[in-house]
Amino acid sequence: MKYFGGCDVGSTYTKAVILDENGKIVSHTTLHSKINPEKSARLAMDDVLSKAGLTSERDLAYLIGTGYGRNKVPFADENISEISCHAMGVHVTDPTVKAIIDIGGQDVKGIAVDTDGTVKNFAMNDKCAAGTGRFYEAMARSFEMSLEEFSNLSLSAKNVIPITAQCTVFAESEVISLVGEGKPMDEVAAGIQMSVAKRCFVMAKKAGATDSIALTGGCAKNAGLKKAIEQDLHLKVIELKTDPQLMGALGAAEYARRKGRK
Amino acid sequence: MRDLRHLYYLENLLQENNNELVRKAREEGRRCVGTVCYQIPEVLLNLPGIFSVRLRAPRTGSMEMGTYYMTSLTCEYCRALLERGLEGGYRFIDCLMEPASCSQMADCTENLEKLDLLGPGFFVQHVDTPMKDDLNGIEHMIKMCRVRVLDRLHEAFGIDVSDEAIKKAVAVHNEVCDLITEIGNYRKDLRPRITGYEFAVLCLATYCCPKDLLLPILRETAQELRTREPDEKSPWRVRVAVAGAEIDDPDFIKLIEDTGAYVAVDRYCFGSFPGRSRIELSDNEDILTQICRKYVTECQCPRFMNTSKVAGRKEYIDSLAREYSCDGIILQQINFCNFWGYERAGGMHVLTHDYSWPVLSLDRPYVVGVSGQIRTRVQAFIERVELKKLGGND
Repeated sequence: MKYFGGCDVGSTYTKAVILDENGKIVSHTTLHSKINPEKSARLAMDDVLSKAGLTSERDLAYLIGTGYGRNKVPFADENISEISCHAMGVHVTDPTVKAIIDIGGQDVKGIAVDTDGTVKNFAMNDKCAAGTGRFYEAMARSFEMSLEEFSNLSLSAKNVIPITAQCTVFAESEVISLVGEGKPMDEVAAGIQMSVAKRCFVMAKKAGATDSIALTGGCAKNAGLKKAIEQDLHLKVIELKTDPQLMGALGAAEYARRKGRK
Repeated sequence: MRDLRHLYYLENLLQENNNELVRKAREEGRRCVGTVCYQIPEVLLNLPGIFSVRLRAPRTGSMEMGTYYMTSLTCEYCRALLERGLEGGYRFIDCLMEPASCSQMADCTENLEKLDLLGPGFFVQHVDTPMKDDLNGIEHMIKMCRVRVLDRLHEAFGIDVSDEAIKKAVAVHNEVCDLITEIGNYRKDLRPRITGYEFAVLCLATYCCPKDLLLPILRETAQELRTREPDEKSPWRVRVAVAGAEIDDPDFIKLIEDTGAYVAVDRYCFGSFPGRSRIELSDNEDILTQICRKYVTECQCPRFMNTSKVAGRKEYIDSLAREYSCDGIILQQINFCNFWGYERAGGMHVLTHDYSWPVLSLDRPYVVGVSGQIRTRVQAFIERVELKKLGGND
């Protein structure tokens, strides 16, 4: 049996997936990224290889790096952008998906997926990290909560207190002010979710979304954001069968499978 | 491929506006005319006794000071120039010729003048340029070039602005254009003997150095390229045309090529199309009229708003992309560029739908060399063009 790997070195998390020649996921891993992307890739690959019962990346027929650190995966056969990989990862998971919003650690992307899993069109936010994983980390820190606790808190809100600032720094100070004024924390949290959902609107439109989208990246696990997108953007969020945070690494592994078996 | 003999020298030269060749020309007693746009005919700024330098702000970092005077909602090229002026980077120029092509650039040059950021005796001359290439527009351009360029330069520096002097400048200009055209034509080859980055460095140098002092380097480089062997296997997966607003940073072209796309042709401010085309003069008509007509009719700036110009700009990009066997087009602008902001939106639509090109539309900062986000967008575009074949196989 031949095996194929994908390694997605993101700004916050590094993910890796190993597929067999039939495209079945053999193993996967998600680790906090280190400051050095090469080290992140090394740790993720060691973990995912060990889980698959393999000893080194030489046991893989082909390996593709992706993510912001994609060209720092020293043992990869080549690298492919995360935009192409997310499209392919979602396509092999659910071929009916036509539009994706990928919310990663430091950027937001809207991706239109073609019928063959390649990218039809895409849009990406500018340098600002507003509405990304970094934004959520800052907000959760303000609430002195984990991301999961923050998400659950927003789900319990009966009302929404809108957040006006888009900038991470200003939004953090706005949130602290609102909480200091005694506003209900769950409603402030719901306001934060709504502000990120609205930022996703432009990306969803550019990805050609009409009635449904798939969310990928670490923020896709945020149930409060999913609820806000469905309520405010009137878009159905398609549940993916596989962990949405793994889509980049899965797409990379799928490309590796297609290239490596030739 | 072996490195071009003069590439490293030129790369270093382009790190400064007041570079070695500029300093040499000034030591010879020539006056330096700063310029910021294609629209004032370059030959009029390169008459005997003067030479032009198209202003840039290489190695720009923070633009806080420029932003203070111009706000954060203005073109980063204009703000970067003001920032460099505030840093004292333009004190070597004797005057600045600024076409009224863009209000943001006018804001920048006004600040440069009012804040006394330039050398002693320095002046800024604003030159009103037309927005249509009809007869009125051309006549207006001739008048402006006569009164505000030639007469002003003669009054200020006492230089010869006769037809004979202009013909001498045209001869030098044409030799530069011939060499750049010869070198640029190698990009049509499917195994090109020059990279898009190398070409961008050579072409940029022709805007930023005294042309006569640069000519020996260009001649030697053209000679070197006549026998240069291209690599056996091309390192690029697709060929692209880069079009749009000003690019004065060859590292942007390098970023595109490092990501896998060969930059086969350039249609941007500071590029070779149309900036490096010969001026053919006849003896049957006034010289200034011939030069002005050429610049007005060939100019690809979106400031020109008559219908034929608007449609012609897309047609021009399409024809260049075809001629240089491109697979796609990168249409880019600097953040907050007014004219290219509109042009990019319309161009994206027309080139995609009417001309069937894959197009990457980029709204980019002035400095992009190390931008991970721009790299990701460019790479995703290349893959979009290239991976269609692979994606369809399963």
